[in-house]
Amino acid sequence: MKRQSGFTLIEVILSLALTAMLLSLLSTGMYSVMNDWENDTKALDETLDETVAILQLERALQGAFPHSFRDEESLSRFVYFEGDSEVLTWVSTVSPQRSGGLTAWYLESDDQDGVSLRLAGAMSDNPTSRLENAEPRILLPNYTATFSYLYEELDFSKQWSDDWSARALFTLPLAVHVRLTPIDPDADREDELDIIARIRANTHRSLRPAFGGSPSVGTGFSPSPQLGGQ
Amino acid sequence: MIKPRNFIAIPNRQSGFTLLEVIVALTITAMVLGSLFSLAAGSKQLAFRSDQSLHRAIQARAVVNFALLEDEYSEVEQAIDNDRFSIRAEQPLDPVPRKTEALAYKLQDYAVIDERNDERIEGTRWLRLELAE
Repeated sequence: MKRQSGFTLIEVILSLALTAMLLSLLSTGMYSVMNDWENDTKALDETLDETVAILQLERALQGAFPHSFRDEESLSRFVYFEGDSEVLTWVSTVSPQRSGGLTAWYLESDDQDGVSLRLAGAMSDNPTSRLENAEPRILLPNYTATFSYLYEELDFSKQWSDDWSARALFTLPLAVHVRLTPIDPDADREDELDIIARIRANTHRSLRPAFGGSPSVGTGFSPSPQLGGQ
Repeated sequence: MIKPRNFIAIPNRQSGFTLLEVIVALTITAMVLGSLFSLAAGSKQLAFRSDQSLHRAIQARAVVNFALLEDEYSEVEQAIDNDRFSIRAEQPLDPVPRKTEALAYKLQDYAVIDERNDERIEGTRWLRLELAE
């Protein structure tokens, strides 16, 4: 009787082939799962970042301040808040870096790069040149923004306008609306986001742009009571 | 016939796993792997859902902010182009029974309703009256 002292070659080859097949199946499965996982966490991270950015923007717009500066050529005072449908620049009491004082914000929407932000300190002068030198940062890479501004008509109805120049109007808008449209062409209308920020300085009883000498060029908005916890 | 003494020591049977053992082992492996995969799938779903609800919260926040803009006697031009949320204004609350001065504002309840799942966000806003009462 011949004693079998191990596996035959065929058995070894067969078992190796089977193991290899099983392992490759398993690893491809694992790979796709890990890939999925990575994509999901990335998407969730991006959405979280977007949410924080949107909330920060809303706060900064709510805290818009009627910052006025003296124009060096005409020597008259102007309020700093200029915006059209793609660019908005204003001075806010809110600063993302928690630096003291007022901060000038400059938002720009680009069809490819999304919404970018520049920040500079708002001293007592016109912050435009400092903003131009500031490093732009991409704030919302996946969205384009469209800005509109709420004003009160003579018949007290309130309308949204595409641009706002405090240089000409001497005052801040009642509220700012930012519509965020995804750049991704596959996205539908459901994915649009909105920011609506009422500018609180308008409801303040004594906060008015400082115009040297001429007292009340200002807003004419009567103060309205504030609700806590909006 | 004399059996050799060391009969047991000579393995003339091929030793290995029985079918039952193999099946049990495979089942255990499959169960462990299956639970691992379902865990991954569950967290994927969770990530997707939290993504969705973050977006929904931002949208609802904008609608609530818009509802708070409508606190005067005149209309505000519609800004949010979204058929998911609707704002419903309730009757203004009853005026206080004893007034010491004329009131220019009233309290009004409003609700933001999510049309998809009938969720309501309720709040109260000041309503500026055309004439002080």
